[in-house]
Amino acid sequence: MKIIVCIKQVPAKDAPLAITGNWIKESDIGFEMNEPDSFALEEALRLKEKHGGEVVALSMGPERVKQTIKEALAKGADRGIHIADDQFAQLDPLGAANALAAAVKNENADLILTGLQSDDQGFGQTGVLLAALLDRPHATIIMAIEASEGKLKLKRELEAGWFQWIECPLPAVLSIQSGINKVRYATLKGIMAAKKKEIAALTRESLGVKSEPTQKVEKIYVPVKTKKTEFLTGTPKEVAAKLVEKLKFEARVI
Amino acid sequence: MTVQREQLEADVLIVGAGPAGLSCALHLANLIKKHNESGAKPELSTENIYVLEKGREIGAHQLSGAIMNPKALAELVPDFEKSAPLDTPVRDSAAILLTERSSFRFPLTPPPFQNQGNYVVSLNKIVKWLGALVEDAGVNVFKEFGGAQLVYENSAVAGVITEDKGLDKNGKPKDNYTPGYELRAKVTVLAEGTRGSLTKKLVAEKKLDNINPQSYGIGIKELWDVQPGRIEPGYVAHTLGWPVSTDMYGGGWIYGLANNRVSIGLVLALEYADPRFDPHAAFQKWKTHPFLRKLLDGGKLVRYGAKSLPYGGWYAMPRNTVDGALIIGDSGSFLDSQRLKGIHLAMKSGMLAAETIYQALKTGDASAKTLGGFQSRVEQSYIRDEMWKVRNFHQSFQHGMFRGFIHTAFQQITGGRGLIDPMRAEEGYKHNKKIDATKRSLNATERFKGDGKLTFDRLTDVYHSGTRHDEDQPCHLHVLDTNICITRCVEEYGNPCQYFCPAAVYEMAREVDRSAGAGETERLRLKINFANCVHCKTCDIADPYQIIDWVVPEGGGGPNYEGM
Amino acid sequence: MKILVITEQRQAKWNNTSFETLAAAQQIASALSGTVSAVVVGKSVDALANELAGKNIAEVLQIEHELLESYTPDGFCVALKQVIESAKPQLVLFPHTYQVRDFAPKLAAMLGKGMIGDCVGYRLEGGRLVFVRQMFQGKTAADVTFLGDGPWFASFQSGSFRADQVAASEGGAKPVKRVTVELKAEQIRTKPLELFKEAKSAVDLTQAPLIVAVGRGIKAPENIPQAEAVAKAMGAEIAASRPICDEGWLPMERQIGSSGQTVAPKLYLALGISGAIQHVVGMKGARTIVAINKDQNAPIFEIADYGVVGDIFEIMPALAEELQKAK
Repeated sequence: MKIIVCIKQVPAKDAPLAITGNWIKESDIGFEMNEPDSFALEEALRLKEKHGGEVVALSMGPERVKQTIKEALAKGADRGIHIADDQFAQLDPLGAANALAAAVKNENADLILTGLQSDDQGFGQTGVLLAALLDRPHATIIMAIEASEGKLKLKRELEAGWFQWIECPLPAVLSIQSGINKVRYATLKGIMAAKKKEIAALTRESLGVKSEPTQKVEKIYVPVKTKKTEFLTGTPKEVAAKLVEKLKFEARVI
Repeated sequence: MTVQREQLEADVLIVGAGPAGLSCALHLANLIKKHNESGAKPELSTENIYVLEKGREIGAHQLSGAIMNPKALAELVPDFEKSAPLDTPVRDSAAILLTERSSFRFPLTPPPFQNQGNYVVSLNKIVKWLGALVEDAGVNVFKEFGGAQLVYENSAVAGVITEDKGLDKNGKPKDNYTPGYELRAKVTVLAEGTRGSLTKKLVAEKKLDNINPQSYGIGIKELWDVQPGRIEPGYVAHTLGWPVSTDMYGGGWIYGLANNRVSIGLVLALEYADPRFDPHAAFQKWKTHPFLRKLLDGGKLVRYGAKSLPYGGWYAMPRNTVDGALIIGDSGSFLDSQRLKGIHLAMKSGMLAAETIYQALKTGDASAKTLGGFQSRVEQSYIRDEMWKVRNFHQSFQHGMFRGFIHTAFQQITGGRGLIDPMRAEEGYKHNKKIDATKRSLNATERFKGDGKLTFDRLTDVYHSGTRHDEDQPCHLHVLDTNICITRCVEEYGNPCQYFCPAAVYEMAREVDRSAGAGETERLRLKINFANCVHCKTCDIADPYQIIDWVVPEGGGGPNYEGM
Repeated sequence: MKILVITEQRQAKWNNTSFETLAAAQQIASALSGTVSAVVVGKSVDALANELAGKNIAEVLQIEHELLESYTPDGFCVALKQVIESAKPQLVLFPHTYQVRDFAPKLAAMLGKGMIGDCVGYRLEGGRLVFVRQMFQGKTAADVTFLGDGPWFASFQSGSFRADQVAASEGGAKPVKRVTVELKAEQIRTKPLELFKEAKSAVDLTQAPLIVAVGRGIKAPENIPQAEAVAKAMGAEIAASRPICDEGWLPMERQIGSSGQTVAPKLYLALGISGAIQHVVGMKGARTIVAINKDQNAPIFEIADYGVVGDIFEIMPALAEELQKAK
C-alpha cells in the first residue's frame, strides 16, 4: 500500500506571535510538526505495518520545513517530498492544494492522508481539495480505518456523539481526526536511518503549477476587547439573577 | 519489571549538546576527518560519535547572559567571524553601583568587568549554529533524548541508558511505551551543563570531589525588546549593590543586543542565610530601580529563563577523568568564577577532551591512563591560566561582600594566592539558618504578584520560558522523603523550595484533613508542578536536606530558550 | 447580490446552525440590497422546504433525489454544482458543520472557486465584503476577502450568528421551487452505512458552545458537583484549569490552557480561576467571558465581559437555581 501523508510545519504551539501585516515574524520562533498531521502520519505508519508498502512524507514551505520531513522519516516514513516555497504562508488553500496535487499526481498512491486542519491557519480544506483535484473519493474526520482487498471501511465522526461507517474504494484521500492513536516516538535507529532517506526537492515552477489566488488574507490582528468588564453586585441571589438576565438578553448566549 | 533494552554501540557518546559537548564533537569530527584523509589506520567514522540532547532541538535549553570571549571559538571555527551569529561586539563596559534610588557608574571599570574584544551573544543561537556544523560533519545528534543512567562494566563507565518514554504519571507503560536505549561507547563524555544529573552520580560513586565542594549561583534572566534609543547595542553593564544585601553575593547584568533587544538578569550565590529569600522576587525588585525602569518602560518581555551556575572554581572542580569517561563544561566546573565566564572554557574543555579521545580511539585504550591526558592538557592550557588566578575568588565572599573585597584585593596582587590558599568553603545549603518556627511561612500564592508590565509573578514568567512537559509522565523531581517537608522542614526552614525555585514548581498546599477523627485539621502537602520546570537544577542544589534528586524527564520536555 | 444558503438536515431533522447562516444571509442581503435563496437537499423534504418558505427570503430551492436521501460528498457535490450553475448566485453560504467541512471546499473547487471557511463574522468596508475568521487557534483574527468573480463560498462557525434572529416572512409563504438534478449511482463512490451513537471516549471541549470551568478556588474535589450543577442547568460542558486536572479532580481531557485544550465557545464561565496566562491563552477567544472570583485583582477580570467579586460557594447554588428557572 503506498500512502502519502501531507504534513505541515507550523509555528511552535506557544511561540509568541509577532504580527506583521497578514502573517507573523518567522525569525526567533520555533517550528514543529502540525499536531493533527502527526496523527495522520502515525495512522499511515500503522497501515504500512499491517499491510506493507511505503509511506511518503510530503510537505511544502521554506527550507526549514525539511526538518519536519526528517522527523517523519525518523518515525518510519520511507521517503520525503519537499516543495520549496518561501511564500507558502501566503498561499490560499486552493493554491497549496494545487501544488500538492501536482507533486503526487504521478505517484499513484493508494491513500493520501492529511490531518484535519493546521494549528496556524486552520483552513481545514487541504484533504478535501486534494480529493477534488485528483478526482478521488474522500472522507474526513476519520476515527478508524479498516483496509481489505482494494477498499476501505471507515469510521467517520459526526456531531453530538454520532458516528457513521462508510465504505470507500481505493485510491482515496482521508482527513484523519486527532487523538485517533497514540503517536510513536522516533527511535535512535530511525533517526540515524532518516539521514540516508531521500527527500525529493520540487518547486511550484518545476511542477508547472500556476494558480490564481481565490482569496486574500488582508491582515491578522489580536481581537481587541471593546467592552469593559461589567461588574455585577448584590447578594448571591441577586447577582445570580442579574447574571442570567444578562447572559440571556444582553449577551444572548443562553 | 525487567526491561528489555535495545543496545547500540558508539565510539564516543557525548551527553549534552551545549557549547562543551558540541565543541568536543566538532573538534573530534575534524580530527577524524584529517586522520582519514591522511590514510591513517584504523579508519574512524564521525557517525560513531553520538550526542544526546534532552531538549526538543539543539539550543532549546541553552541560557546565558551572555558575553562570550571568542578565543576558543576562533580555534574551533577559524572563520567564525563570518558565519557565527555573534550579535554585537562589546562597545562599552560599565560597572554600576546601585542604591535604592540612584546609580553610580565607576569612572574606571574594574578589570573583571572589562569586556573589550568580547561579543554580546545569544548562547542559544551560537549553540544552534554550532549544532548545524556538528551535524554537517556527520555526527549523530539525537534530540529529545537524555542520559538517565550510567552503565558500568567492571567499574569502568561503559555508556549511558536513555530515559524510558511513554510511561504515564504512575509509571505504567502507555500504548507508545519505548524503553530507554542502552548506549555503549568506548568513551562517554558528560557535558550535561550545570549540576549534571549523571555527573552528580558519577562524582558520588567514584568519589571525584575536590577539596572544596561545588558552589553554585542562580541566574535569572529576561529578554526584552525596548523602545529605540534606550540602549546601544554592545553596551554591557554589571550592577552591584541594591537590592542584593552586603551579606549576599550577587549582582545584575544589562547587555544591549542588536535591534533594541536587551538581556537583563540577576545572579545570586545560592549561599544565603535566609531560607525564605526569593531570588525571583529580588530580580523583579531590581527591575524597579529607576535605572532599569527607564530602560524597560514601554518595552515588552520576550522570554524568561533561569539556570544555576557552578562557580566554585579551581579547588571545587571534580576530578574529570575516570575509566571510560570524561567530564567537561559546566558539569566539570569549567567556569571563571570572577568574570562568570564559562562559554569559552566549556568550548576549550570540549576541544581538549576531543584531542584526548582521539588518542584513545587511535590506540584503542580508553582507560584512565590515556584519558588522563585530558587533565594534563587542561593544566597546560589557558584554562588553567585563567582559573588558577581566581582559584580562591568565590570562596572569598562566603562571609559577605566586604571581607570578600579584602581577600580578592590581595588575590589580585598575588596571582590568586591571597591571604589564604586554598580558601575552604562548605556547601551553599549549609549556610541556611533555621527560621523562627513561630513565624508561619507565607503561602506561596500570596507572594510577589508583579504589575504585569514591568514586573511579573512567577507563573507569568514561566509562561514566557516556553517550558512544556507532557504531563502524563512520572514526576522527574524525586523527593526522597516528603514527610520531612511537612514535619521538619516546615519548622526548621519554612519550606524554601517554594522560594528558591524560579519556576513555581514546588508548592506547599494547605489542605483540610478530614480523615483524623477530631474534626478538621489543616495540613500541608508538597505539590510538585513538574511541568513548569526549567531545568535550572536549583532545587537539587539548594535544598537544605539534600533530598531532591533531579532526573531527566521524557526527552523534548523543558524550556524553549529561543534567542536566550 | 444573490445569496444561496445551503441548509443541512438529516433524517428530516434540521441542523439548527442552518438558521444561523440564514440569519447571516438576511443581514448581508439587507446591507447589500441582495436576495436570499434557501436550499434544502434530500428526499421527501417537503415539510422542511415549507418551513423555510415561512422565512423572509426570496425563494426556497428544494433539491430532491433518491440518491440524496443520505449524505455523500459525491452526491451533494454533483447535485449542488448543477444547482449553482443554474441559480448563478454571487455568494454561497453554509453553516460550518462536520458535513460542510466534508464537501463544501470540493464543491467550490469543482467550479474553480475558493472557499473561506469557519468564519466568525463579516464586515462591510465600502460595499466590499470582508470575512473574519480565526487563526492560531483563536489567538488572532484574520480579515479575508475574495479575489476574482463569484460564486464565492463561505461557511460560518456555529454560534457566530443567532438562529432566532431569522426574520419571518411578512405576507405569506415564499415560493418553493423544486429543482431537478441529474445524479447517477455510479457517480457516488463512497457508500454510507449505519449511523450510530457512542459515548465518546474523549471529550472534545473545542466543540462545546458553553463551558463552565473551575480553578483553584473550588478548593476540594467534593465541591466540583456544585459547578457541575451549574453546567448542567446551562447545558454546558465542565472544564478546569491545570491545577485541578493535575490533582486528578477532573480528567486531563477537561483541561483548558497552554498545556490543555484551546477553546473559543460562545460562553465561558470561570469559577474560582485567577487568570494566569497559561490558562487565559486557552480561552480568551471565547465570545462572552464571565468570571467569578473573590479576589478583585484577579487577572481574569481583565478579560471578562461580566465579573462578580464574590464567593463561588454562595453564587454557584444561586446560579444553578436561576438557570433552571430560565430554562
